[in-house]
Order: sequence, then C-alpha cells, then structure tokens
Amino acid sequence: MSAVGTPTRPGAPARPARRRSQEVRNLPAALLFVLPAGIGFGVFFLWPSLRGIWLSLTDSTAFRAGGFVGLENYQRMVADPVFWNAFKVTVWYVLLNIGLQTVLAVLVAVLMHRLTQSMAVRGLVLTPYLVSNVVAAMLFLMLLDYQLGFVNEVIEGLGGDRVMFFGDQSLVIPTIALVNVWRHLGYTALLLFAGLQTIPEHLYEAGRVDGASELRMFRSITMPLLRPYLGLVLIVTMIGSFQVFDTVSVATQGGPANASNVIQYYIYEVAFSRGYDFGYASAMSVALLVVLAAISVLQFRLTRANQNDMA
Amino acid sequence: MTTTAPAPAAPIADPTPTAPRATRRRRRRLTPGRVLGWAVLLVLMLATLFPFYWMLRTALSTNAALPGGAADPLPVGLSGEGFRRALGLASVEESLADGGSGASMDFPRYLLNSVVVAALVTVCQVFFSAMAAYAFARLRWPGRDVVYSVFLAGLMVPTIFTLLPNFLLVRDVGLLDTLPGIALPTMLMTPFAVFFLRQFFAGISVEIEEAAKLDGAGRFRTFFTIVLPMASPAVVTLAVLTYITAWNDYLWPLLVSQSDGSRVLTLALGIFRAQSPQAAPDWAGLMAATLLAALPMLLLFLAFAKRIVNSIGFTGIK
Amino acid sequence: MRKSVHVAVAGSLVLALGACSSAGGSGSGGSGDEISYWLWDSNQVPAYQACAAAFTEENPDVSVKIEQFAWDDYWTKLTASFVGGAGPDVFVDHLSKYGEFAAQGQIVALDDLVERDAVDTSVYADGLLDPWQHADGSLYGLPKDWDTTAFFYNEQLVADAGYTAEDLWAADWNPDDGGTFEEIVAHLTVDAHGVRGDEPGFDASDVAVYGLGINPNFEETGQMQWANFTGTLDWDYLDKNPWGTRYNFDDAEFQKAVGWFYGLADKGYAPAAGVFSEETLTQVGSGKVAMGTNGSWATGTFKALDGVDVGIAPGPVGPTGERASLFNGVADSISASSTKQDAAWEWVTFLGSADCQDIVAEHAVVFPAIPGSAEKALAAFDAKGWDVSAFFSYQDEGRTFLPPITVRAGEVNAIASVAFEDIALGNTDASSLTAANEQINAVLED
Repeated sequence: MSAVGTPTRPGAPARPARRRSQEVRNLPAALLFVLPAGIGFGVFFLWPSLRGIWLSLTDSTAFRAGGFVGLENYQRMVADPVFWNAFKVTVWYVLLNIGLQTVLAVLVAVLMHRLTQSMAVRGLVLTPYLVSNVVAAMLFLMLLDYQLGFVNEVIEGLGGDRVMFFGDQSLVIPTIALVNVWRHLGYTALLLFAGLQTIPEHLYEAGRVDGASELRMFRSITMPLLRPYLGLVLIVTMIGSFQVFDTVSVATQGGPANASNVIQYYIYEVAFSRGYDFGYASAMSVALLVVLAAISVLQFRLTRANQNDMA
Repeated sequence: MTTTAPAPAAPIADPTPTAPRATRRRRRRLTPGRVLGWAVLLVLMLATLFPFYWMLRTALSTNAALPGGAADPLPVGLSGEGFRRALGLASVEESLADGGSGASMDFPRYLLNSVVVAALVTVCQVFFSAMAAYAFARLRWPGRDVVYSVFLAGLMVPTIFTLLPNFLLVRDVGLLDTLPGIALPTMLMTPFAVFFLRQFFAGISVEIEEAAKLDGAGRFRTFFTIVLPMASPAVVTLAVLTYITAWNDYLWPLLVSQSDGSRVLTLALGIFRAQSPQAAPDWAGLMAATLLAALPMLLLFLAFAKRIVNSIGFTGIK
Repeated sequence: MRKSVHVAVAGSLVLALGACSSAGGSGSGGSGDEISYWLWDSNQVPAYQACAAAFTEENPDVSVKIEQFAWDDYWTKLTASFVGGAGPDVFVDHLSKYGEFAAQGQIVALDDLVERDAVDTSVYADGLLDPWQHADGSLYGLPKDWDTTAFFYNEQLVADAGYTAEDLWAADWNPDDGGTFEEIVAHLTVDAHGVRGDEPGFDASDVAVYGLGINPNFEETGQMQWANFTGTLDWDYLDKNPWGTRYNFDDAEFQKAVGWFYGLADKGYAPAAGVFSEETLTQVGSGKVAMGTNGSWATGTFKALDGVDVGIAPGPVGPTGERASLFNGVADSISASSTKQDAAWEWVTFLGSADCQDIVAEHAVVFPAIPGSAEKALAAFDAKGWDVSAFFSYQDEGRTFLPPITVRAGEVNAIASVAFEDIALGNTDASSLTAANEQINAVLED
C-alpha cells in the first residue's frame, strides 16, 4: 500500500459484478463501523462549517442571530486595515517560525541520527512539547521580561543593551516565533529523525568508503531521501503555525499596537470583545480556511510529486 | 507487509534495526566534527531545559526579592510560599503580603477536570476513529472513497472556522460550562486520527484476516480480536498524541468553560494570572502554578518516556 | 490485547459517567442560594468578603461567592460569560462599559425594583447616580464608590530634588511647554551620571530615575495616562456626555496635549513604551521613577510599598485655571441571565446601603458613594496616617468630568488604544488621532 494516503487505487478496473455485490453486502457492516466517526464528522465538522459560512453572510452577534446581509462582511473585511495587518503579521510569523524550526529540527535530527542513539537525548529534546503553549508563554514572559528577565540580565552583563522582546513592535513576532520553536522543535526533530531512520545505513557506509565527508553525505544522501518527510512535516507544521493563538493570548494580547495581532487572535477579539460580531468573525474564518485549503492542496501536490526517491 | 515503502511496523521494537552494525563500526574517535556536533546538541538541550529550571527557581523565590536578584541563577528569598498560593493553601492576608492576590485556586479540581477531558477524548476518539479507519482501509463498500475524501477534506479546516459554530451548538444543547461540552467536538473523531489509522490498517497483511474469516469470525470479531491488537503501536501512538493535544488545549476550553466546575489546567494558569494583583504580577505564584500545570504531563512522560518517544518517531512514517 | 480493549471501553464509560456527574458547572443549589459576584480590584476583595459575611448573617439562606479577575481580562470574561449564558449574578460595572451591556439586554434595569422596595436613591453623593441612567431612561446600577486620579510621588526623591509638597500642589501646566509641571518632572529626572534633566549634559538615553512614570494602559478614557492634563483644557471627550455620538480626539489642543504627554519619553523624562510593563505602582516602588499617576483605589498599595515613602499630589492647574481629574463612579449591575434575580437584588441593595459601604469604608481602599460612609473612609485613611486630600481637591477647587459613556465601547476602546499606543511607540504623531477619531465616530454612527 502506498505510504501517502490516496483514497483511490490507481488503475483500478471497472468493478466486476461479483465484486460489486460483495461490496454492497459489506455495506451494513461498513456503515456501522463508520457511524460514530461519521456522526462526529457531520455534527462537529460538516455542520459547523456550513453554519460558519452561513454566519459569515449574516450580521449575527454573540447575543442574537442575525439576518442575511449578503457579502457585507466580506466587503468590510477587504477594507479592514486591521485584518490585512493580521494577515501580514501571521504570514511573517509563519515564515519565521517554520523557517527556523525546520532548519533546527533537521539539524537536531541529523545530530541525533549520526552522533548518538541515546534515548535520553531524544526524551529531553521532546520535553517542551509536553507542556501547553500557555505554560511556554508564561515561562518566556518571565525569562524575557525587560526588567526582571534573566535573558536581559545576561545581555546587559555581556555589555549589551536590554531588549524589549515583547514590547518592541519589530521584535514581538520574532520573539513569539522563537517561543514556539522552543516548544515544537523536539517534536519536529523526532518526526524527521524517524524519517532519517528509514535511510538504509549501507548508503552511508558506501559513502564513507568512497571518502565522502559528513557534510557531503548530508547533501547527497540525507537530504534527497529525507525530502518527502520534510515536505510533509513542513506543510503540517505550517498549517498549525498559521493558527497560533495561545501564545499571543497569554503573552501580548495582540500588542503592542497590533504588532502581534495574528489572524486567529483578531477573529477571537472580534467575536468576543470588540462588538461581539460573529458574522464578521466567521467571514474572516472563511478567509483563513481558503488560505489553509490552498496550502493543503499544495501539500498533496508536492508530496505526490516527491514520490519516494528510494524506488 | 510491503518492503519497498518504509515499513510501518519497523519501529515497534528498537527503532534502529541497524544499531548493532552501527556500534560495531563506530570508532570512538573524537573528530572536530563530532565535538562540534556534540557541542551544538548540548547547547540546544540546555536551551530546551533551562526554562524549566527557571520556572522552578522563580517558584521557590519571593516576589519582593525578585527585582533585585533578577540575575541570580538560584532562587532568591527561598520560600515555598509561591506553591502555597498556587495551590490555594495560603490565606488571603498571607497572599497579599507576599505580593499575591488572595484569590482562591482549586488546583486539584482543575487537574481532575483535565484528566477526565483528556481521557474521555483519547479513549473515545481513538476507538471510533479506529473503527472508521478499518472500514475505509479493509472493507470495500460503495461510496467508500467519496466519504473518505470528505473526511480528509476536514484536515484542511482551521480550528477557528468550526469554533464559533461549535460554540453556539454546545451552548444550544446546554452543554456549555460542562466537561462533556469541552470533550465533545473531538470525542468522536478527528480527520487526522482517521487518516493516520487508515494508513496503518491498509498496511496490515490480508492473509490473517482471510484466515479469521475462514474460521467463521464476523467482521466485528475480526476487528476487535485480530486487527486492533495488531495495530496497537499505531493506536498507542495516536492515543499518546491525542492525550497530549487534549491536555494542552486552550482556546476551546476557554470558550466553553465559565466556572470552576469545568475549568481545566490550561485555563487555571490564565485565571491565576488574571487574578494577579493590580501591581506587579505574582511571578513566584505564577511560576509555581505553571510548574504545577506542567507537572502531570512531565511525570507521565518520565514514566513512559521510551514508549512516547518511539511513538512520536512512529508518526513520521506516513 | 482483547482485554485491554474491553478495559478501554469500560474505562471510558466510567469516565463519561464521572464527567457527567461532575459536569454540574458552578456550585449546585443545595439548601441555600449562592450568588456569584465579580469584581476586578484585588485590593477590594477583603472588604467585600467582609460585606458578604455581614450579608449572609442577615440573609442566612444566601451566600456570596466573590471572584476577582484583573481589569485586562475582566470585560472579555464577562462578555464570554454572557454569551455562554452562565455569567455572574452580580458584577461590578463601569460607566464606560455598561452602555453596551444595556443595549444588548445583558443587564437588568433596576427602576421597577427600586420603586417596589422603595430604595432611597438620594443617599448617594451628587452626580453619582445620574450617569447610571441609560439613554433609554432606565437605571442600571446602584453606585457604590467613586475615584479620581492623582500623582503618587517618592517623598525622598522629591525632597532630594529640592521640592516640597506645596511645590507639587502649586504646579501649573499648559500643552505648549508643560509649565512648571514639566520643570519639576525634568528636575526630578536623573541620568546615570547624576545629571538632572534640566541641567546641561543630561543624557536622555541613559536615565537612572525618571521624573514621571507612564502606565502601560492605553484606553479611550486616558484615565491612567493623560486625563489629568487634557481635563484642564476647554475640551471634553464627546459632544455630549453621557450618550454622545461624536468624539473630539481631533481637537487641536487635545492633540497637542497628548503629543506633549508621550513626548516626555523622547526628552528622557519618562520611560519609553515597553520599558515598564507594569503600572506606576511597581515603577515608583522600584525607585526608578519619581512620580506617577494612579487612582485613589491604589492608595493602600502605594502606602504599603517597602522602602519607599509615598506622598500624593493632585494634578496641575491647567489653562482653564483649574486642576482636573476623571471622576468615575463604580456601581453594581445584575446580569439579565442570572437565575437568582431576587437574591441578586438583595445583594445589590445591600451593597448600595450604608451597612455595606461602612464596612468597605473601614478598609480604607475606596471612597464609598454614600457621603456618610465616605466620611468614615476618610477617617480610616486618616487613622492610617494617609493624607488623601489630593483626591478631594478636584471637587473642592477644580473640575471633575465623567469618563466617555457611549454604546459600543469595546470597539471604541480597541481603536483608541491602538491609536494612542502608536503615538507612544513613536510610529506616528498626535495628528493621527484625527483619523482614529473618524473611525470611532463611524462606529458610533452605526
């Protein structure tokens, strides 16, 4: 069976009659198996999606259902500078977060792969993943505080100027990106590490016999074979990264002056503190959905294009 | 079992089937490259663990001593008051005197709530998703592929998109501010869970199933007694991931939970912070609360480290 | 493995049952009613707990559960709880926020109840009750206390600079050059080499002690930042307060004043945005700031600062010849979704009565709305040796003004706070307020 999920089996011929009747006979059992998940999907994914689209076409508020207003919310969204700011801020965050996280994760994974098989290292590296984003945010709020933060004390001790990590508009997004890199690095590294382990050892042996350096082997052996996994990990983490909320909510509340007002936070604010406008919030959610769908489509294309180079 | 594509079953045992060969070959020569590599690894591990230490250090400090001793790597004004405040054990006067807020925190309750929600979500989601994944992977029935594609489409849906309508739904059925209300949206399935397990089920050998069928076992019996046990590595992996995700969820419980009865640990931290006195935040108490919030997962991890680490590694093989 | 599957299923059922049983949400009814009461000021919790105890003594079948959330989170939590239909029964409400709640039908109009129980609403000090009447004429809160803002200063630093309390009280101000107030602030500022702000060689980039601290609270009211100054201009927030529909942030004098205020950071007399993430209480307490604005509610915590003796001076006299402060009256509102309306009303009347306000007065935290209780509060402050006359100076010899009271305050605040923060951060100057003003007026017109 293929490693990447494709629901249709390529080249399947038209089902002969015998198989078809077998399929139909399977139907009751299959439906029973699928039923609970199907209900879950219908009630908590499908129906809310439809309702969300409907909400975006109304002027509903948190307190009362509204009436149909057509594309008014979307027009408002296109004209809303805070929305575009949120979008820009989020994209910038995703680029920084995923960029740094992926590079470091590859580095850590390769180091773990080539240097040591120690379970201790792998376990330690994974630890930040276990705590919630809220915990991580709180931790770094303290560590990076302008007055009390240890990091600033060290910087000052080394002769530098204190840095306003969360207070400087141009630094706040990189800071949040770094906090989340800290949290997700271990997990991503382990994913890639597993991918690395599928690369047969004999390739490295052969490389070494040929006198190749570690760096050369990394470039010619590791990277090409890791690419499918890298691609998958990249897209999945990117989708998660777009939805950053917890850290912003705890650490900066979108500030200073909207510099960290990421899209999911803005939607939450609009729905629950600025005007309780569920209609408008839903419209922005739809926009986010479209963007993420585009990225997902890209994912399927890319991973299908990067079929296993092993074959 | 397929042999060309990366075999999903490979990491069940030791994740490095080639380990013996590697150690035989590994010369303990300290090349500059190795030294550098270790240095980098050590620096990264330090950066990973230092914040946890800092959490402990601040939790054991006194608020008044913090401004002066910001550079001190050891606790300043060593005291266990932070923990007492975080656990709600300190009296109001004691709290206020120490820079706390005197508000009450019901940590044991929040812990229990987190356990209940996470367990509920994990057990149910894995089970029901496994059932569906099996139907998609091993049964052939009309419309199977279409339904599966629809399920997969759910993978691209951002959380926030279904959040507001789900909130309205949960409110309308009266489950707001309850634990089932928090657990419900992901309790029956998530697209990821179905996708993940289906991949694995598809890779299971057909012969064993055929044998069971010949023995007269029905579909359900086959599923429970044979297929599910064979898939236990994948199931365990999914369970671990689901548990961690459910435990650390913040936004959804934030909306659904209004009062102490349904508050989970992630929210408790936010509440503790919100109840900070108007002056400076109660850092010592806050860090103590943070540590307490992180502790259950860390302890679980310590107990099941090898299992969990291997499981995460397993996830990568898609 | 089969057994483990069974265990898993059984386990989940048990958990589900457990979850259902513990899913009671907040405290169950039981034999007595428990009403939940929310407030934002942690300093006031002990006072109101004492009130609650007294209340339960008189009404044994009703108990009050007090929950406190800091200002920043308070309003979001409140709204979220309204949306969820599970909010507090009674909560402390604010003049600039209640308009929205009333418009959405989330709080209870009290007129009928006041009439029914013949509650005497004349007991409150002048001007405290009226703002709680919505544009539709209904009353939405019973006043409980009032506050003004003033400047808390480090007595030692002020003395070192050669000033007396009288100097501070006598300061004057204007938006062009800051008047003697700015002179004082400049002289209070000391850089890392000991050079004062008004002396040659002052290094604005390396300041050890700032003359004036700035609270990191950016709001449409400006209460914690510039309201003491702008109030002395011939200017008010709205065309009509309460229930105006047009803000006046585009006024030239107002913009000059705001520009002056945030410009103090450029001169080095005040910390730049982000240097301190906490309020002036912490700033003054750290010894790095000589003086800062805060409200009368913070008196107790300022006086409790370790190692710093704090004095209180009122805002400077401005172009109109008077000093000014925002005068905020806080009241208690009943949430419309409360299932215990009767008990809630009992609690509210108790809160609005001298019985409770006397208790609060004794704790010396706020100035109760009933004059008799306010006197007791003054006595309590006196007993502690705290001179709070600065907060009363505006009523005696100055001007007090209400915070802007409109509908859609949440949206207005969101726009205004970003606009002011942008100025503080140096991204733009005060003239950008004109654009923000238009945005706000557009919101209010809807």
